[in-house]
Amino acid sequence: MINDYIHAGIALLIFPGGLFALATGLLFKGMDRIAVARLQRRVGPPVLQPVFDIIKLSTKEILIPESANDAIFKLAPMMGLMGSLVCAALVPIAGVWKGIPGAGDIFVLLYLFSLPALAFMFGGSSSSSPFGAIGFSREMVIMFAYEIPLLATLLAVAVRADWSLSLDGIIAYQTANGPFLLDPVMIPAFLAYLLFIPGTMGAGLFDIPEAEEEVIEGPVLEYSGPLLALFNLMSAVKLMVVLSLGVALFFPLLLPGGIWVNLPFHLVKCLVLMLTAVSLFRASTGRLRIDQAFIFFLKYPSSLAYVSLLGAFLLR
Amino acid sequence: MHKYLKQFVHKSPWLYRINAGSCNGCDVELATTALIPRYDVERLGCKYCGSPRHADIVLISGPLTTRVKERVLRVYEEIPHPKVTVAVGICPISGGVFRDSYSIEGPMDRYIPIDVNVPGCPPRPQAIMEGILKACEIWKKQIMEVA
Ligand code: SF4
Repeated sequence: MINDYIHAGIALLIFPGGLFALATGLLFKGMDRIAVARLQRRVGPPVLQPVFDIIKLSTKEILIPESANDAIFKLAPMMGLMGSLVCAALVPIAGVWKGIPGAGDIFVLLYLFSLPALAFMFGGSSSSSPFGAIGFSREMVIMFAYEIPLLATLLAVAVRADWSLSLDGIIAYQTANGPFLLDPVMIPAFLAYLLFIPGTMGAGLFDIPEAEEEVIEGPVLEYSGPLLALFNLMSAVKLMVVLSLGVALFFPLLLPGGIWVNLPFHLVKCLVLMLTAVSLFRASTGRLRIDQAFIFFLKYPSSLAYVSLLGAFLLR
Repeated sequence: MHKYLKQFVHKSPWLYRINAGSCNGCDVELATTALIPRYDVERLGCKYCGSPRHADIVLISGPLTTRVKERVLRVYEEIPHPKVTVAVGICPISGGVFRDSYSIEGPMDRYIPIDVNVPGCPPRPQAIMEGILKACEIWKKQIMEVA
């Protein structure tokens, strides 16, 4: 019992949540920026640029608008960061980490997943800026839109993995029967997940809630200094969670060898996923209107995910 | 903050543009030639930010017309310290071609402390980038002094 708590504590604070998720998340963000720069034939910033940004932000002063709701304004970024850190601790890494015992349920994850988005909304709406409010409403609309395909995808995977709702079970099933990425029935669900990633990370077509040119970065408009740094950390951890989850759901392939082979292998898989779903997407697409994005999610990713769900049911 | 960490701070200058009634010539230089793909200042860590609250280096263009004066000063106040100001183009320095016009309140440094002047109408992209590098140096000094 005590051992379980220690286990969970380590998972939350050091690996795979906490420090590990922060470090890899920031590194991945840096690689994303370099990849986009290279795709646009630029040199790009150093890999550690997100780290420099965080250091810089922590030296700046915090300004809080007079008419803002002080407590919520300060709490929102912390809540978002904590939510995403908990998510990071819950997602298992194949062959390395089995997840906190009794807590790696896909529905728990689905709920926790909305915390970072909620943090954006709270932050934006408590800032009392009209742009923050517009960003808030956009974030909400896009969240509703992408959660439908996400839910259908998760269900399809769960059904295909013999009704296993725990991520660990899903990984175990794929280790025994081959990864879902190579399973024709699940490929539409994978495509839906590929579209969900930029949706939740606000990249390319779906960079709508934080659109700089339209709503001046929306919800984070009024944030400055360390509070903004917290938002940046949150989005780095969230990126890691989304990628790890994608790998766990569709491609938890193991290499022979222990942790030291499989952990780098997992990171490589995450990197490939990020380069396709975030960097390439971000470099090659422009921004949609919020209503177009809403309809887009309801039309394409959702129907793809439903196809897989149906297939999984029929072939069970 | 720890001294060791401080030396990394200047690697992340975020730029914010204020248009104080410029003819757009300087803004075009800023937006499309100097700070985007061809010269890629992102490799210095620069990034355009949409919100004045995120800014470290403020790029001001234009002669400060009567109509925008209040707004420019207000936006400038909203930028958190430490900040460095770069005047881009001859307009904010002396009024340039608009000098002695009835609707001009400039020069800019009557109201806002300007750290770097980048003259030209509009300045060459290389000059703007040099100005930003100089601003980074000044910013670095400011950070070290706050210690
Ligand atoms: S300096 Fe020249 S190009 Fe720049 S805003 Fe003034 S008039 Fe326009």
